[in-house]
Amino acid sequence: MLRFALIAAAAIAFSAGAQAQTIRIAILGPMAFVQGEHHWAGAEMARDEINKGGGIDVGGKRMMIELIRGDTNEIQSVPDATNTIERVITRDKADFLIGGFRSEAVLAMQEVAMDYRRIFLGAGSAHPQLGMRVEQNYDRYKYWFRVTPPNSNDLGKTLVGVLGTVAGQIRKELNQPTPKIAILAEKAIWVEPILKALPPVFQKMQMEVVGTWQPSATATDVTAELAAIDRAGADIVFTLLSGPVGIVVGRQMGERNLRAVAFGINVEAQKEEFWKAAAGKAQFVSTIDTFAEVEITPKTIPFVRAFQARFGKAPTYNAGTYDAIHLLKAAIESAGTTNADKLVPVLEKISYVAAFGVVEFDKRHDPVWAPGKNTGIAVQWQDGKKVPFWPPQVKGMQPFRLPAR
Amino acid sequence: MYLVRRAWAELRSEVLVLPSRTLALVWALGVLALPALYGDPYALRILTMTCIFAIFAASWDLLAGYAGQVNFGHALFFGAGAYTSALLSLRLGVSPWATIWAGAAFAALVGLAVGFLCLRLRGSYLSLATLAFPLIVLGLLFAFPGFSGGELGISGLRRLVVTPVANYYVAAISMLVIVFALWKLADSNFGIVLHAIRDDEVAARASGINTQRYKLAVFAISAAAAGFAGALFAHFLRVAGPSTLEVALSFQVVIWGIFGGVASIYGPVAAVFLLYPLTEWLGSFRGFGEMRLLIFAVIVLLVLLFMPRGLAPWVRDKIETPCPRCKQRNVAWRSTCRLCGAGLEAQVARAQRLVGHQ
Amino acid sequence: MLQDILVTGLVSGGVYALLAVGFSLIFGVARIVNIAHTAFYMLAAYCFYALLVKGGLGFVPSAAIAVAAVTALSLLCYRLVIEPVREHHAAVLIATIALALIFQELMLFSFGGHYLGIPSTLQGAVRFLGVSIPAQRLLILVVAAAMLLLVWFVLYRTRLGLAIRATANDLEVANLMGMNVRRVAMATVAISVALAAIAGVVVAPVFVVDPFMWLAPLVTMLAIVVLGGLGSLKGSLIGALVIGYVEAITVFALPAGAYLKGAVALMIMVVVLLVRPEGLFGVAFEEER
Repeated sequence: MLRFALIAAAAIAFSAGAQAQTIRIAILGPMAFVQGEHHWAGAEMARDEINKGGGIDVGGKRMMIELIRGDTNEIQSVPDATNTIERVITRDKADFLIGGFRSEAVLAMQEVAMDYRRIFLGAGSAHPQLGMRVEQNYDRYKYWFRVTPPNSNDLGKTLVGVLGTVAGQIRKELNQPTPKIAILAEKAIWVEPILKALPPVFQKMQMEVVGTWQPSATATDVTAELAAIDRAGADIVFTLLSGPVGIVVGRQMGERNLRAVAFGINVEAQKEEFWKAAAGKAQFVSTIDTFAEVEITPKTIPFVRAFQARFGKAPTYNAGTYDAIHLLKAAIESAGTTNADKLVPVLEKISYVAAFGVVEFDKRHDPVWAPGKNTGIAVQWQDGKKVPFWPPQVKGMQPFRLPAR
Repeated sequence: MYLVRRAWAELRSEVLVLPSRTLALVWALGVLALPALYGDPYALRILTMTCIFAIFAASWDLLAGYAGQVNFGHALFFGAGAYTSALLSLRLGVSPWATIWAGAAFAALVGLAVGFLCLRLRGSYLSLATLAFPLIVLGLLFAFPGFSGGELGISGLRRLVVTPVANYYVAAISMLVIVFALWKLADSNFGIVLHAIRDDEVAARASGINTQRYKLAVFAISAAAAGFAGALFAHFLRVAGPSTLEVALSFQVVIWGIFGGVASIYGPVAAVFLLYPLTEWLGSFRGFGEMRLLIFAVIVLLVLLFMPRGLAPWVRDKIETPCPRCKQRNVAWRSTCRLCGAGLEAQVARAQRLVGHQ
Repeated sequence: MLQDILVTGLVSGGVYALLAVGFSLIFGVARIVNIAHTAFYMLAAYCFYALLVKGGLGFVPSAAIAVAAVTALSLLCYRLVIEPVREHHAAVLIATIALALIFQELMLFSFGGHYLGIPSTLQGAVRFLGVSIPAQRLLILVVAAAMLLLVWFVLYRTRLGLAIRATANDLEVANLMGMNVRRVAMATVAISVALAAIAGVVVAPVFVVDPFMWLAPLVTMLAIVVLGGLGSLKGSLIGALVIGYVEAITVFALPAGAYLKGAVALMIMVVVLLVRPEGLFGVAFEEER
């Protein structure tokens, strides 16, 4: 208790003395969960780097960054998230907002941020609706920018690219001219556009779709689904999973020695903890991802290594708060002001080389998807290690492996 | 002038004689005056949410406390109101001022349906069966994502009014009106019948009461109030999502209701006004903000150990005593009943001691 | 496909039965709707995880310690929290909800919101009727069957069981007959929570361990016991199989609607209740006993 009091007193004293010279950035995330942990960790790294380098140059004046930790608790409660964002804006006087994860909560938080005309950089929700609002009601929603991940429609493009590689390998190694593909997608809005767009593409790629299974995002058991997929004789299990069901799928596939290989979106499999969470059973599960120790841009490897050294784990896409803060720095320095209305046009035109790719925004303030610039990567779990394998032209990629039959 | 004097007399004889009613009056005035004293938008947001949840908790109490239909799925009505109002105002472009009523009306229909399905169930069966309804609806919402917005819900709603103060007043006035109406209703003959149904349904039926009709009515009324709260919630947050139907919300209202004291209406309201701002305030502390739910649960548990009947009845028993003869309530420090003049319990106890009982 | 459904339904039914029987028991005897029942299951899973993965103990000692510790904790909770408010049904109810929330938040605080995996006790998979079943699932089935037999034996072949059944039937009379009702209640709590803890130890390895893992099985379990009839052990067993099969059939008949399996199971429960308000094997009682 005393420690808390002392820290609080010190924080007040510090902020009172330094208020004029700091830029206050609120990091919003579910801090008791992995997502919030990475939001905060990425932001801390960016803050320390920038402050050590003398802060942000705002029209000739040096300003330090001060982070505000906004625990949104959004996984458990949407109202808590809106309460938190209101608090950081009105009480803590945050100048900028970064973070968010659960789409339902981010949609509500976006409204509050726009009420106060604060720039809000998304680093967690992939939902297209967030960006559609910018297009439909520009004057109100122009302060929203999504830094990471790409919106879910663009993720579909990456998926097709990677599937081409995977299917090619199956044809070659297993002598299977038309690989059979089973779609295992959680029941959610974000998978709908992908589910509509992809099956025709699969046919063009000469793959046979044997069925579509849609468990709940929070299902704890997919025994029945996997039994059916096994029966259908699939070679690839194409996953679209963001919830904890991703772990269950990985683990139960391994436990029943399914001969198919899993690839797709599996948000849980992007986390360092995935291998242990699946009790070491998730061999060869693969997913698209954001960060790995490969040279996507010159900044990627240094960032991933520094993150690993400081926090003892690899960053997830939520640690994109790191890039968001650096991006903000670049925008502020080029605009010479922290005024939100003046920063919006600067951000719209920016082309910033971040650790996960090159960030440019389209008219919906979504990151522009472009091969060679910003596509994301694909990774596969091999013997407890997350191994990057796509895009193959990037330096540092390793081969994709298929389970033995 | 006459009216003023008449009102003052009413006030003195009906409200000020009892500390609990005086407290309620002071609280209501405080709720109305608050923005003038303290207009911080963050505090107003918290209190707006508090008012909305207070309606929700009071509506649960009418159903569970008075009628004994301990509903474990009260979020169903909240969610029905939220989704109906959201869909109507977004898809048809109707003003939210109209759609919140539609939300309440649809919630009432849902309440009737649930009530009908649950007519033959009682006790724990009813509680556990009602727990299932919001989850079934949740499954249906996911089955028709084009209509319901799936896991995102309906977003991009308009607010009823723009400024935080106005939003606060909408919620606060709705809350005061609805809570007062529910309290009046519970205090009327209707409420007495509900008591009878809860305590002994067979006896109530034997006395010629159409218990089924009463049960359906109380389901509808309670659901309408909860739906109204849900609709307000949706337009305040500008999102009506699946979180309005989750088990967590259903449990939350059960906790508020029982913590405050069932079958009192004001008990659950008091519980919300204490617990919601308290947990939010705890959440604003660095370090243990993430422990707010833990602290909340511990407080609930500890308070219950000392006040197993809930907060409000405990406080009321401390400051008021019922008259042994006419059962009317009196200030604890009165020696005779304010209505029938009979000696109050303290007196009786002393007399008994003098005579030599016990 | 038929054999898939038969095997899968049986396997999930076994998991549910293990959870539902304990809950049913404590309701039947002590009339406690123990919302924290699956929270004890969660605690056992965490405890097992900590001992096995972090502590490096073997499977058997970890399991034994986890079950014993959680059972002891439940007795402590009963004495400190439930017993003082036993007279007030409503208070008991939210006391158990509050306990569950406390456990959830304590786990969230000490282990974080991570998903944890417990290594399987038994490795490998067995092919049965052409369906691949992981060995751990078979273990669950065996344990569930053994536990059900054991509970049946205790209830119907021992003096303690006689006392438990008498108390369940009529608490007042049992008390008047000179039974130590309080001790019977404690014994029931212990047996019930031990069943939950055993479920946590054998079932959790096929699922993911996280602080919210108690909610989903809670709902399914409540559906099962209501379906089967509150307080009826036979009902719980059959209810568990019904729900297990309903879920399996939903997934196989409607692959794109697999997410509906929970909702369908709940709907079956509601339908059963409409026809038989006291559940399949419940006792029809006009008044709360």
